Amino acid sequence: MANITGWTGKLLRVNLSTGDIKIEDSMKYNKDLIGGAGLGYKVIFDEVPQGTKAFDEANKVVIAVGPLTGTTAPCSGRTNITSLAPANPYHAVTDSHMGGNFGPWMKFAGYDAIIIEGASKSPVWIKIEDDKVSIEDASGLWGKGVIDTTNEINKIMGKEACIAAIGPAGEKMKNLASIVNTVNHSAGGHGGVLGSKNLKAIGVKGTGAVHIADGKNRDWLDLNKYMLGEIIGANNNHVVPSTPQTWAEYHSAGSRWTAQTALFWGAANPPVETGECPPGDLNKVGLRTQKAIFDLGEVAEERTIKMGGCYSCPIRCQSNLHVPELEKYGLTPYATSTCINFSTPGTAMLNGYSDGENKGEVALITKCLGSRLADDYGVWSNYGQLHRDFRYAYNSGKLKEVLPKEEWDSIDWSLMESGDPGWMLEFYNNLIADGEFSHLLDGPYELDKRWNLGKDYWTGSGNNVWSKMAYPKHHSNEAGAQVGALINTFFNRDCNNHSHMNFIGAGLPIELLKEIAGEVWGSPDALDAPKNYTPMNEYKAKFAKWSIDRNMLHDSITLCNWVWPMTVSPSKSRNYRGDLALEAKFYSLATGIEMSEEELDLQAERITNLHRALTVRDMNTIDMRNEHDTIPEWVFDVDPDMKPFTEGTVKLDRDDMQLALTMLYKEYGWDEKTGAPTRETLERLGLKDIADELDSLNLLP
Amino acid sequence: MFEKEIEEFIEKVRTRREFLKMSGKGLAGITVTASVLNLIGCTKEEPTSTEVPTGAAAFVIPKGLIVSQPNRCTGCQRCEMVCTVANDGKVHPYVSRVKIARNFNYGSEMTDNYRNENGYFGNFLMTPETCRQCEDAKCAAACPADAISQNEATGAWTVDENKCVGCGACVQACPWNMPTIDPETGKSTKCILCGECAENCITGSLSLIPWEKLEAMLRRRGYRLS
Ligand code: SF4
Ligand code: SF4
Ligand code: SF4
Repeated sequence: MANITGWTGKLLRVNLSTGDIKIEDSMKYNKDLIGGAGLGYKVIFDEVPQGTKAFDEANKVVIAVGPLTGTTAPCSGRTNITSLAPANPYHAVTDSHMGGNFGPWMKFAGYDAIIIEGASKSPVWIKIEDDKVSIEDASGLWGKGVIDTTNEINKIMGKEACIAAIGPAGEKMKNLASIVNTVNHSAGGHGGVLGSKNLKAIGVKGTGAVHIADGKNRDWLDLNKYMLGEIIGANNNHVVPSTPQTWAEYHSAGSRWTAQTALFWGAANPPVETGECPPGDLNKVGLRTQKAIFDLGEVAEERTIKMGGCYSCPIRCQSNLHVPELEKYGLTPYATSTCINFSTPGTAMLNGYSDGENKGEVALITKCLGSRLADDYGVWSNYGQLHRDFRYAYNSGKLKEVLPKEEWDSIDWSLMESGDPGWMLEFYNNLIADGEFSHLLDGPYELDKRWNLGKDYWTGSGNNVWSKMAYPKHHSNEAGAQVGALINTFFNRDCNNHSHMNFIGAGLPIELLKEIAGEVWGSPDALDAPKNYTPMNEYKAKFAKWSIDRNMLHDSITLCNWVWPMTVSPSKSRNYRGDLALEAKFYSLATGIEMSEEELDLQAERITNLHRALTVRDMNTIDMRNEHDTIPEWVFDVDPDMKPFTEGTVKLDRDDMQLALTMLYKEYGWDEKTGAPTRETLERLGLKDIADELDSLNLLP
Repeated sequence: MFEKEIEEFIEKVRTRREFLKMSGKGLAGITVTASVLNLIGCTKEEPTSTEVPTGAAAFVIPKGLIVSQPNRCTGCQRCEMVCTVANDGKVHPYVSRVKIARNFNYGSEMTDNYRNENGYFGNFLMTPETCRQCEDAKCAAACPADAISQNEATGAWTVDENKCVGCGACVQACPWNMPTIDPETGKSTKCILCGECAENCITGSLSLIPWEKLEAMLRRRGYRLS
């Protein structure tokens, strides 16, 4: 390709064992696999041998983005990281994702991807300034939190550089450790892999451009305006406001479109009123999501300085807060986080908050304190499971049993008992210390092996562990019945998939959603009303497959799956229809390669198959149905007095879910007995080399 | 007291607009106080004090007023991208004529007290910087090739690409380092007041208030612009 646009066309390979630094062609991956996760899976498949464990020197870390990163495409600020995952029982491949500035900075420095291989003997960091790349000594940074590490590197590289770093959790090779850039943008699950390589941080800055197709700049701006004006909603693409408003036909109390008259960013100077932000007004999209009050309650309004978020994103889902009470705990009075890190610390307050309020001031202070510690220590909450594991171990008496008496006595439990925010310091400091308590960061699988948590831990409802793959549920059976359940079975970590959830939770009336479902997946029966489920049908299988594939597309192209895809819109004039060809439209204008929605979906399907093939290889079995795609008992056993498919329950049926798996396998053209990809399917998708490799390992059905 | 502030503001806008019409030449930005922001519809908060340090500024351009309000800036950096897509046909924040990325982490300066200062690592505040279109433009004066002159139609100090030799004297001369030499073309880039950044700002932190709208707003409050 003579004139590459969208992508930079280059990738950076850094070997920490040998010190070799190479620049290579990235287009051999991008052409058919888009970039990001697609590129990541291919590199891991080709270069990391079967049987490798996450912390082995042979494991690699692929940090990759796609053709839309750094281009102004809305919500294109996320970075995909692919590697073997230590928290997975088989160390199967996963992606972790971070927002912030890192991915775009990588592109401006000239790279679509960074492949990190080998392991250094002593602590190092990688410095990238355009084509000047070097491995630097990090012995002075080891032991520091993410923020201090970042600042030290900024002193060397300049204040505009973006730094991705690990904290103490990653250094100590904890399974639940994250990689964090720009204060609070954290990627979960691979921090320990960097730690195993003695890699503390990567700093990047660039003076280059990301080009779009020649002569298309006006079209590009117009496409952005069209999307911001007519199509996009608020966070999670909620397309109706949370309160009745003059312009709005519908509203829904659970909507993240919280902007309304007399609701402010109260700590701005002067305060900024969110107001009504109807579709069509491009200059108000960034005010729609007042996320602080959504995450932390009304007490957060007067503490809201503004909404933050990722590079190029008009949605701004992260609240930037002024919380002077944090100074009491030795921190500065500023806090920010993603929603999960604001929500999860509260789960560790087993006795509630001292003022008895769940969304009161003490809760706010506690959550801000907890989230800041988690982000600075590089602790990954495993989508909130970490805190539930603590709760389970404490309440069941297990924790007291396994902790040495001296360690137990050294912990100030009174803070937790009295609902004091200071419990957060105690909780997180003990997590990154070296005692028995810190094994909570092993994740469910290793923790159970060590502490013997018992059957109830795995099967009990409310503890939320999804399957023996040892990750929690994430928009599962309560989100589209079998559709959500199928999506939750597919991945090797919590599924992190919002393709279905953004649509289901958009806030529009169910009749309208069903109508749209009919247009997209062939029948209104693809979607059931909440808690009023019907048995499995092929349209639900299509919906589930589409959701997985779009997620793969977003992680590869790279767009934020917390807002994309645009199944619906807030525009009454469009009868609330979204535009599902938007990814393809942006792709075409960025790369100059004409791409239809169908062609791009096919590329995504190829990436899904690559992920599946890798999982088969990592687990060394084709029996995906029984070994991988398992569903927890609580899905079938909740509401003991109710039958599945009766109004009022999210309960599913065992046989029906086996049928659901069969139907999903059929949609993908996988072996219907095992759920493994067949040679025929892999070859149809241009993955003959993958089929050959699986064949040689006797892993084709 | 607010009254006096408002009168002064309107007077400045009036004279600059007249000057722009007659000479085609723009003038430096006007500092904007909370009461003025309220007057021109940028905030609904009734000001309680005259000394609100908003850091907000207004620029008179042929289409209307560009207003910059740091308190509304979310740091999305879309303005930098839009500026370069519109003017350079590529996304190239490094040469953007509006600058936010360089202030993103630590504000305009990184100090030891960075956790309490401007920027995302501190109090989250960051200011999108734009060219002040100085009365006495140091960039133009420093240019050895006479490549920077005031555009007749817009009043913006504009780089003539044919004359620019890419020496970077303007970058050095500008007190705020606003011009940037594009490493791909070897030419200086600086703001031409096209208004795209403001048109596309997601919160109105940069906003363009067209003349008609401004006139109507002032009229409603009992003031006149012309
Ligand atoms: S587009 Fe607006 S909100 Fe975003 S960085 Fe620029 S000035 Fe700030
Ligand atoms: S580039 Fe600098 S010196 Fe030149 S007009 Fe703009 S602000 Fe003034
Ligand atoms: S007014 Fe135009 S040239 Fe100036 S910074 Fe904004 S987009 Fe760039």
